[in-house]
Amino acid sequence: MKSIKLWILTMIAFLGVQSAFAQVRSPLSIYADYSIAQPFGSLKDYSDKTSFRGWKAGIQYNLNDRFAVGLQSGYQQFYQRLPRAVYPTKSGDISAVQTRTLEVTPILATVQYQLAKPEAAIIPYVGVGVGTVNMLYNKYWGEFTDRDNSWQFAASPEIGFNIPFGKGSPLLFNASVQYTYSPYKLAEITSYNAVQANVGLRLHIN
Amino acid sequence: MKRVMLFISAALGVVLSFSSCGKDPLKDMTEDESRIYVTNRADSVDFTSYKTFSIADSVAVATNSNTEERALTDYDKKLIADVTQSLTARGYTQVSRAAKPDLAVNLTRIDNTYSAVIYDPGYWSGIGGYFDPFYWGYPGYGYYWPTYYQVYQKERAVSIDIVDLKNPKNNQLMAIWNAMLRGSGVWNISNVDSMVSAVFAQSTYLKANNN
Repeated sequence: MKSIKLWILTMIAFLGVQSAFAQVRSPLSIYADYSIAQPFGSLKDYSDKTSFRGWKAGIQYNLNDRFAVGLQSGYQQFYQRLPRAVYPTKSGDISAVQTRTLEVTPILATVQYQLAKPEAAIIPYVGVGVGTVNMLYNKYWGEFTDRDNSWQFAASPEIGFNIPFGKGSPLLFNASVQYTYSPYKLAEITSYNAVQANVGLRLHIN
Repeated sequence: MKRVMLFISAALGVVLSFSSCGKDPLKDMTEDESRIYVTNRADSVDFTSYKTFSIADSVAVATNSNTEERALTDYDKKLIADVTQSLTARGYTQVSRAAKPDLAVNLTRIDNTYSAVIYDPGYWSGIGGYFDPFYWGYPGYGYYWPTYYQVYQKERAVSIDIVDLKNPKNNQLMAIWNAMLRGSGVWNISNVDSMVSAVFAQSTYLKANNN
């Protein structure tokens, strides 16, 4: 364990020195992506439709040519309407058209490692975000809702690539796949699991 | 550094302005989809132990303003007829109020459009013309409403209550079944058929015979 830590520190130091020689882009960048998300596990039992209502955006600072840290947020809405059905209750039954929504707003601290040099035509990367997520749950019975709003822990690994619009361009195309987990529990949801695809742009600004 | 802060605040602004771009489920909802039909039953009751019923001759109107007491509009006539027909189809025999029926059926339109109250018939049974137990031949009695009847609401609703007249206990008449029609258009006469048939369809136990 100790040797791994030492290795990571050495790598960071090494890359830090290297970055002093090769700065193609300014270190600070902002990005915004359109997101499509697919629910998995118990989230799929609650609302099994793919969500086309999502986006994410963030700010990132390159410590060197390889490592970057940042802050990310976004929004995703899962939505499903079920035809009229009868649901048993404690002392009877309710006939209702159910509309199930879950609105997910994460706030994550991110770390990213770029797998190619900034001069490359394609810059693949891996990253992970850790932080908190706001879950707004609304299960409508007809026009009446069971509502719950809460904050949870969230972790979100990501793999993707950037394509610069020309060599050294501060503007890059971005595409990635991201998995998000949260130990969120409410009614039929026992944990939050979703895989999202993102496409968007990244701009180095300073 | 100033520029960085500026961009961070700009980014935050963008995040906040987009954070409510979800689809609103209420926007594309039809009146039919907005309605819910809630039925409650008393657990320990054998519904086949009752054979006869009598239904109120008008519909009580419970409002906050308390201007109207009982009504017999076309809507009310239709509601009375549909509930009567449904109970008859389940094997219960309609008798007059004087003939000591096993069950009493109370119908109430509730209008809480302007201020929300906890729906507990016990709370408003004294106002708005709710049928006094005296109407059913039990002067001095009260109604007993199990706690499961309580529903928080701010809306128009219709309540169908079936009360046990056969087994009064401690000067109380117990409600054994209740249906609440809630949502948009519950006071619309063209929805009475589908609403009444829905609450009976989901209450298959509500019948006079075990076959």
